[in-house]
Amino acid sequence: VRVIVRVCACDCVRVIVCVPSLCEDLLSSVDQPLKIARDKVVGKDYLLCDYNRDGDSYRCSTEYRDLYFEGGVSSVYLWDLDHGFAGVILIKKAGDGSKKIKGCWDSIHVVEVQVRAGAPLPVQTGINNVNCFYLPNLGNMDMENKIRSTLNEIYFGKTKDIVNGLRSVQMLADKSKQEALKNDLMQVLSQRSKQQS
Amino acid sequence: MTDFEEPLSDEEKVRIAANFVTHAPPGEFNEVFNDVRLLLNNDNLLREGAAHAFAQYNMDQFTPVKLDGSEESVLITEHGDLGQGRFFDPRKRVSFRFDHLRKEASDPQPYEGETALRSWRDACDEALSAYVKEHYPTGVCTVYGKTVDGQQTIIACIEGHQFQPKNFWNGRCRSEWKFTISQSSAQVVGVLKIQVHYYEDGNVQLVSHKEVEESIVVTNETQTAKEFVKIIENAENDYQTAISENYQTMSDTTFKALRRQLPVTRTKIDWNKILSYKIAASCFIIFSFMLVQWAITSFNTPSGFRHTGLCPPSS
Repeated sequence: VRVIVRVCACDCVRVIVCVPSLCEDLLSSVDQPLKIARDKVVGKDYLLCDYNRDGDSYRCSTEYRDLYFEGGVSSVYLWDLDHGFAGVILIKKAGDGSKKIKGCWDSIHVVEVQVRAGAPLPVQTGINNVNCFYLPNLGNMDMENKIRSTLNEIYFGKTKDIVNGLRSVQMLADKSKQEALKNDLMQVLSQRSKQQS
Repeated sequence: MTDFEEPLSDEEKVRIAANFVTHAPPGEFNEVFNDVRLLLNNDNLLREGAAHAFAQYNMDQFTPVKLDGSEESVLITEHGDLGQGRFFDPRKRVSFRFDHLRKEASDPQPYEGETALRSWRDACDEALSAYVKEHYPTGVCTVYGKTVDGQQTIIACIEGHQFQPKNFWNGRCRSEWKFTISQSSAQVVGVLKIQVHYYEDGNVQLVSHKEVEESIVVTNETQTAKEFVKIIENAENDYQTAISENYQTMSDTTFKALRRQLPVTRTKIDWNKILSYKIAASCFIIFSFMLVQWAITSFNTPSGFRHTGLCPPSS
């Protein structure tokens, strides 16, 4: 999967140089892996995406990141909307490379918070308080958990099944004998349970 | 965002197109070819400039083909390449023309191959075919007996694939095994490859390969063929078992190291508790007088937001 991610970035560039008119559409519909940059002033890493061109950025609550990712890099970029605000929360975690397996998890969460007209706004005593106020709802992002489970069970499970469908460690003749035996057994058992009931 | 001001030359464009085609996942050559054809928008250029890429793809993939009237398939490989678009089937002893885009064989002609190696080739082919039948539901094998760099060599190629585009997946495994028969002791060298693509509401590829080397004692045709196939069977079983084990390891350790299903505390974060740690007493009182209605929309794919037109302020 890592190889494919690397190839994908180059492929985007290749398609764009061939057909420059597709540039906008392509870049807006394909997600590139998040890039890490260093803020030399503060001495911290941050993540690059479409959104941090304007420069306003705030650090994400490290509690959430550390509890789920035990490290990694995160960045949050917020911008005002007419009736509220929107933001993108980026998280990047690279595996430690132990056990000869390498990996990288990129998260991009986009949220929009609408504050309806007529409702009093929370008192803004500082930007941290605004973040904290909305945090419980932003934080309950079950989607990441669902995606992670889906990746583990369905995507990886399915590719493993496909591999085992291409070749069988057990001899196919033995496998079909085993299948036949299992079917016979099931038939006998279901007949028995019918007789008993 | 770099500026692509200078238009690319035709040569460079077709090189990029060819590159895309050679990297098509198994079973998806036509889709990639059609997309590339649209992007390039120059059929003549594509046909002439990328013809080598189509041939390279089929040879790399060990594409199986059936000759007219034959129940068995033969593999398209570099070892069977005779040039001028012709390949040969060492089992049937025929050469044929192969259309790389249509993937069809035509114009069969007798082709003897290297007669000195025939008995060895035939013995290995017979033993290997039995093995492939026992382990590959849709497997095909082709065995060559050729002199390579002055050494009399047996080259065995195995291919098995399942294409199910309606279920959004395709998969193929290939292996290539060689050994020389010139001396009584030889090295069997093998390369095993697996590629699986699953793309239902997502995009995951498994691309894996392994190299193997084992020594073999070369005696007579039948005995050596038996040993050869035994080595192949053990190595391919080990490889497949290792892949299954890797999946388990990946799930248990590495994946978890990237993102845990639950925090270390083994319970989901209580956001209200965290909130209360951060808020000072005075703020809490203010909030308790608040009535704020908000709607939160979060999107389940990273690019979902782009379809809703949610954009940051332009720079």
